[in-house]
Amino acid sequence: MIESPALMETAPVVGPLPTVVPPVAARSALANGLDVVLVQRQVAPIVSAALMIRSGGGVDAPSKAGLASLTAEMLDEGAGARDALGIADELERLGADLWLGSGRDGSQLSLQAPRETFAAALDIAADVLIRPRLSDGDWERVLHDRRTACVQRRDQPEAVVGVVSDRVLFGDDHPYGRPTEGLEQTIAHLTLDDVRGFHSGYWRPNHASLVVAGDFDEAQLRERLDAVFAEWKAAPVPVAPTPPPWPPRPRLVIVDRPGASQSVVRLVAPGTNRLSVDRSGLAMLNAILGGSFTSRLNFNLREKNGFTYGASSSFAFLHHPGSFAVRSAVFAESTAPAVREMLSELSGLRERPASAEEHAKARATLLMRVAESLSTTGGIAATFGEIGLYDLPLDEPLRFAAALERTTADDLRTLAARYIDPDAASIVIVGDRAVIEPGLRELGLPAAVAYDADGERLP
Amino acid sequence: MLKIQFDTFTLSNGLTVILHPDRSSPLVAVDLWYHVGSKDESPGRTGFAHLFEHLMFMGSRNAPYPAFDAIMESWGGHNNGTTSNDRTNYYEIGPRNLLETFLWLEADRLATLPDVITEEELEKQRKVVLNERRQSYENRPYGRAELAISEAMYRPEHPYHWPTIGSQADIEAATVADVRAFFDRYYRPSNASLVVAGDFDLATGRALVERYFGWLPQREPPPRAARPLAPHLAEDIDMTLTDRVQLPRLRLAWHAPALFAPDDADLDLAAHILGGGKSSRLYRALVFDRRIAQDVFAYQGSQILSSLFQAGATAKPGYDLDEIGAAVDAELTRFAAAGPTEPELERARNTHLADFYKGLDHLQTRADLLNHYQYLLGDPDGVARDLERYRHATRESVRAAFARTLAGKRLALRTIPEPVAA
Repeated sequence: MIESPALMETAPVVGPLPTVVPPVAARSALANGLDVVLVQRQVAPIVSAALMIRSGGGVDAPSKAGLASLTAEMLDEGAGARDALGIADELERLGADLWLGSGRDGSQLSLQAPRETFAAALDIAADVLIRPRLSDGDWERVLHDRRTACVQRRDQPEAVVGVVSDRVLFGDDHPYGRPTEGLEQTIAHLTLDDVRGFHSGYWRPNHASLVVAGDFDEAQLRERLDAVFAEWKAAPVPVAPTPPPWPPRPRLVIVDRPGASQSVVRLVAPGTNRLSVDRSGLAMLNAILGGSFTSRLNFNLREKNGFTYGASSSFAFLHHPGSFAVRSAVFAESTAPAVREMLSELSGLRERPASAEEHAKARATLLMRVAESLSTTGGIAATFGEIGLYDLPLDEPLRFAAALERTTADDLRTLAARYIDPDAASIVIVGDRAVIEPGLRELGLPAAVAYDADGERLP
Repeated sequence: MLKIQFDTFTLSNGLTVILHPDRSSPLVAVDLWYHVGSKDESPGRTGFAHLFEHLMFMGSRNAPYPAFDAIMESWGGHNNGTTSNDRTNYYEIGPRNLLETFLWLEADRLATLPDVITEEELEKQRKVVLNERRQSYENRPYGRAELAISEAMYRPEHPYHWPTIGSQADIEAATVADVRAFFDRYYRPSNASLVVAGDFDLATGRALVERYFGWLPQREPPPRAARPLAPHLAEDIDMTLTDRVQLPRLRLAWHAPALFAPDDADLDLAAHILGGGKSSRLYRALVFDRRIAQDVFAYQGSQILSSLFQAGATAKPGYDLDEIGAAVDAELTRFAAAGPTEPELERARNTHLADFYKGLDHLQTRADLLNHYQYLLGDPDGVARDLERYRHATRESVRAAFARTLAGKRLALRTIPEPVAA
């Protein structure tokens, strides 16, 4: 045993948290209406750009799920003077990463390149955005790859639990009820004309925003942006239908995976939308419940009981109200006790929303998460990209910080009573049904409803 | 030429310290490397370095469980640890007002962990680790192949024979006495290096490190068992595993030179040209043109004692691994004979350099990189020496390095779908 000096016996005094100071962001609009935000950061010699389109999989008809994301993926399969491999080769030569994809609420083109080659990479990005070839041969190949990816997803229990949970929560007729990437059945209905329609309908400068962050000369960059986006024309954007309300849902769903040594478990319930005034308070409540290592869920399921490598919770704050979810992967034989503990933590949150320590911790955790995301070029692009996507004010990080400061223990109690209801949650499990079902019945849960890995209810 | 600014010194107890101030955001990162990994374990005690990493969070004398996580999270800090074959690292990231706390917590567990560890804590983390094993390998598609590779490539007495996560039986057999012995042997200031990065000035950083780590007693670096490095594969090996997957995957592996040895960087470039992204040869041939594969890969898995070069592909529905194998072989053979074109080499080099710069954006990545160079080269100032290797690579050096690797014996590991019960 080492004798330690007195200075080790007490924890150091921790001074006040630093204030979150967002970087200076300059907002302007191009002639075609594109909203542009520029943020300088000179730590690494790189530049990151995020171009956000304000529509994603959330406007896909359920029978055509995958359209937004396949449209994004098709754009760099040949554009302007280059074919698909020509684009890939030139981006590599420039050391640039170009990524295209869609989420629920947006589609995105991201570009990251060294300072010296960013302007050249931006030319290619503009080709991809404005002048995609969308040819039959590329479409056939991309669609085939996507179909195979949809087949492979069935092998991945973590992915399957997400597909099934969304279907259970949002139902058959809501666009959030199908995965953004689509399903084997839904992408079979898609045509290249659908892709052309999505691109010409939604990929418009008046329905988009661009953030460029990093190490660049502002005057030169503005000149480049004006030039490369000059041909991109504004046009009216289709109005997406209003999705249906929350459907009734089963209490217990099992996707059978015979022989699985772990059960992947998710509890899902209705949450709220991105613009909700409750968002900052719910983020704090979530930090306490399952949003950090010392959160109640992780502490209970991992540290106290050893059921799992980790347990967490999250709200998906989307354009339409999104999900509230609790998640973990547990020993197959611990499935029922793990579900019991998850439910009891949800009840516990209503009864004891937050101690003073938890309240302070949640605030500090979320504030420092903001500071951390603003501490990298990619994080700045992502933060201001989200601001563009949801049309938020430029000082959103400060508003969020201020809202965290304002939230009281009473606010958290009210929010817990309103949003956290263990009896309203659907329990979705990907695991070995024969092993786990008897224990779940002993918890007093109803008989499980069987779903397949694509989210279809089985007879 | 890009440089990461730092100041370095060694405490009288042997701890190497590297300070990297960066005032661009109000954050600090502390990154502590212990020069021990699963290569330092013994057969029958595998998975121990990693299990031990988990126990480092189970409390120390002055910060009893769960103070380590609770204190830093109460101020918005967070932390983790990772274990590889070669080393174990621990890091904390948080607001600058936590710097002193981070150093105190790390020093206290280095000083006192074995005094407070209990059977009960070991038992809890044993379960967590067994769940990690299931989540990361057993219940993950193609995870079984990842566990099998090292066992097939290295003989039982070689330190890379067992996977870092260890075997279930060994994890279950670990005792508190093992934990204490492991700690006593490897967790010494002279066997560690500490990087402090972020929003502080050099004088304060140095004073704080000296305050919390300076009093720890000096001990010699741990003696290392001189294990003979067993010969490599004596012949080509073909293996087939079943897994819960729908598409078969072929994985080829060769022995390759160690990290920073001659050929290592050339093989990195070769891997990129063969299997890195849409521009790569395997992608073009198997995915883009012939459409027989869903994905392809190639990489040089660089490690301190020796590396593995791996390449392979996943078959599309309706294609078998014989066809995939023949197509992969054809590309590899062609590359070993003719090497890359000049544009291919330029693309691979530029991509490597650009990825390197992109990595420097993140404070903790920079901290970890300084420790990486300190451990490997005995000097944190490794950026120039590292990148020179890629700048100097030529078409012929890449070709020759790859041809030498390909000429060795190889493992061909097939993962095929498990038969479905009727």
